[in-house]
Amino acid sequence: MIDSKHETIMGGNEAIARGALEAGIGFCASYPGTPSTEITTILLDFAEEHDIYVEWSVNEKVALEAAAGASWAGVPALCPMKSLGLNVASDFLLNLNLSGTGTGGLVIVVCDDPRGHSSSNEQDSRFYAKAAQIPLLEPSTYQEAKDLVPFALRLSQKYEVPVLIRSTTRLSHSRGLVIMGDIPKREWKAGPLKDDLFNVPAPHFKHRDLLGKMEQISKTFDESKWNTNPAEKDLDVLIISSGISRRYSQEAIHLLSSKDIGILNLVTTYPLPRRSVVDALKKTRRVLFSEEINPFVEDEVRSLAIDLDNVPEFHGKRTGAIPTFGEMTTDVMQGAIANLKNIKLDKRNKIDSYILIPRPLTFCPGCTHRNFYWAVRKVRKRVGDKLVVAGDIGCYSLGVFYDRAMTTMQAMGSGIGVATGLGQLERFGFDAKILAVAGDSTFFHACIPGLINAKHKNSNLTFVILDNETTAMTGFQTHPGALHQESNQKRVKIEEIIKAIEPDFYARSDANNIPELIDLLHSTINKDGLKVLLLDSVCVLEEARRDPIVKETYFRIDEDMCIGEKCLICVSEFACPAISWDKTMGHPVILDQLCVQCGACVAVCPHDAIKEERVQ
Amino acid sequence: MRDPFNILVAGVGGQGNLVCGRVLADASAQSGLRPVVGDTFGASRRGGSVLTHLRIGKTDWAPLIPKGEVDILLGLEPLEALRAALEFAGDRTVAIISQTKIPTVDVNNEKYEYPSLEKIIDSLNKLCKQVIVLDAEETLTRIGSMKMLNSYILGAMGALTQSPLPLKIIRESLQSIFGSSSANIVAFDEGSEIVH
Ligand code: SF4
Ligand code: SF4
Repeated sequence: MIDSKHETIMGGNEAIARGALEAGIGFCASYPGTPSTEITTILLDFAEEHDIYVEWSVNEKVALEAAAGASWAGVPALCPMKSLGLNVASDFLLNLNLSGTGTGGLVIVVCDDPRGHSSSNEQDSRFYAKAAQIPLLEPSTYQEAKDLVPFALRLSQKYEVPVLIRSTTRLSHSRGLVIMGDIPKREWKAGPLKDDLFNVPAPHFKHRDLLGKMEQISKTFDESKWNTNPAEKDLDVLIISSGISRRYSQEAIHLLSSKDIGILNLVTTYPLPRRSVVDALKKTRRVLFSEEINPFVEDEVRSLAIDLDNVPEFHGKRTGAIPTFGEMTTDVMQGAIANLKNIKLDKRNKIDSYILIPRPLTFCPGCTHRNFYWAVRKVRKRVGDKLVVAGDIGCYSLGVFYDRAMTTMQAMGSGIGVATGLGQLERFGFDAKILAVAGDSTFFHACIPGLINAKHKNSNLTFVILDNETTAMTGFQTHPGALHQESNQKRVKIEEIIKAIEPDFYARSDANNIPELIDLLHSTINKDGLKVLLLDSVCVLEEARRDPIVKETYFRIDEDMCIGEKCLICVSEFACPAISWDKTMGHPVILDQLCVQCGACVAVCPHDAIKEERVQ
Repeated sequence: MRDPFNILVAGVGGQGNLVCGRVLADASAQSGLRPVVGDTFGASRRGGSVLTHLRIGKTDWAPLIPKGEVDILLGLEPLEALRAALEFAGDRTVAIISQTKIPTVDVNNEKYEYPSLEKIIDSLNKLCKQVIVLDAEETLTRIGSMKMLNSYILGAMGALTQSPLPLKIIRESLQSIFGSSSANIVAFDEGSEIVH
């Protein structure tokens, strides 16, 4: 954070975290997931100083439940998560909305990931606001990202409903100047819970009451200073924007120097501030919707406009004026406005880009996940390709890019879940071996019910847990099985959980030794019943973070032994980024600045050409 | 200065794109301007392409530079400079690129060949108004390591007549991040000498 004339450079997530402090929250529970992680990371850093409780929960549902507990007891709570996390938490959310949040107040922040930069889908989580009938706010600047949190908390406290703030990748992961506010003195204290915090026996009445609150909230949104109306009285085109799309819209108008075009920017996107929207619709001939992922505001406005006497022309995702998938950009808005205004955009002459080659993502140098997938590849050959790998979410998801190392990959914990089903199909002639793969953090998050199901139903499968003892994908957050625990937290060992479930076969091994790993994997999948392998898989990034490596040995390729171009196994098949093909030398070289001396490549070379040497 | 003035930093995870963005944003704020920095760092830890978009102006511009609107392209790696230029460069773009390649990994057998530097520069020349190629390897290895390429290239940029920010202020921002005795400052000064 850099101070300049009372303004500080902050990322969107940092601003949300600061907003939470300025709102006076006392409790934050979350599960890491890009692009939301930094919110909680920052609050953790400030936890002691501001005497707040912050935890990385085991998953998003538990996080939301924990946060609701705090709110019920009168402690203001924040629950940040990524888009997909809200799916996990939604079961609880769609009950909490009816029960109410008590007096503490509860703000949920969901960070969507249009285009799926770091996600397995590009879902629009705003639909949860509609499904749960809870208020939704969408910041468009860093300042709003910060200032909305206190507003959201007050709103939640007043109506006792959870309030959803939605950010998207480009807001969460970009930075700009923010004016900070004060952190208030604490005015709350944890107290007793109300005694009606459930929805039965008349959930329909609770539903009725919630709808009544939402009606009032819609009216207060009409008065809201958060929404900005166009200054002009008579418009050709009104852009209705929300979130970061507002800024793409403003810039597109600037670049095209368009006239008779204005922006109604909505921050309070659900429930719609109906009167403000209707007033704006009356001033324009045409409307262009600018929002990220789904036509959420667009559909709401369209259904609102049905009752108008003069309905303006609508253009958006529903008409194809804006692409229905992928990220919003200034270029998208520029194209859409140019189309409406019949402006010709001078397209640049594209030059031939044939020389451009991709830079694929891969496992880090020395990553033991590569060793595991290498072993999978070898075993796949041994069983004549009759192998299905049901994958999961985490660093090891990169297995989808590694040959065909992974067959399926959907949600947290779905690898073992899918496998339990496949493990029943022998009776119908299914003859492939089934391997489910998950990481340690994912194991705690969502794999335990699947594993128990497999045991109970006698599924014939092998479940491999790649245990690097940290949440590596999102930047090393702790979890119940993590090696390093805070002094106030107790470790839960994966091994003990597996043993308690009593699989038919269990072994623990090391992902560093490739030849052993191949044999173990092969012999295990050939056994019958539920087999579980726990593989100690060191994360070299995590190791280097804790103790920087002291190089005692180094690895090199022996030019006399290496057969070069005829082989290339280490470069193109094993593909450690530290091994690079050197055309002029005619053999691969190991790049010293990238190599972490794990030694895995030694076993991969069929010609014993990779040698370990001692540093002189 | 144009408003917004757009700087795009292209590199590979681990090269310090983010630091470039931080330094330039700080220098902009110190100069009384409003910086907006957009990072694509999802893949940064796993050796993927990383882009940092810096918008400098009087208002908060959008976090991504529109196509064709780059004023200065800082290429920490030749192939990544080309990738960024193909998408974002235009008639005003001045590209400063380091010629040191970072090889790509090829996960499913050798299919692609890393293009020659001549071909890359040739294409960049077609896409940009001006291309400045830096050979920083010898200098940086002497000072410490290629890890300081980001500071070096910032120095080179600051010395350009087209730079929207004074060299001195960029240097101060770099110092506030690394401390004044850091080898990064030496790299920055070396970089600033190269463009004259
Ligand atoms: S695997 Fe061994 S023989 Fe083959 S290219 Fe690599 S070092 Fe040479
Ligand atoms: S020892 Fe081999 S596999 Fe390990 S990081 Fe170095 S080059 Fe890669």
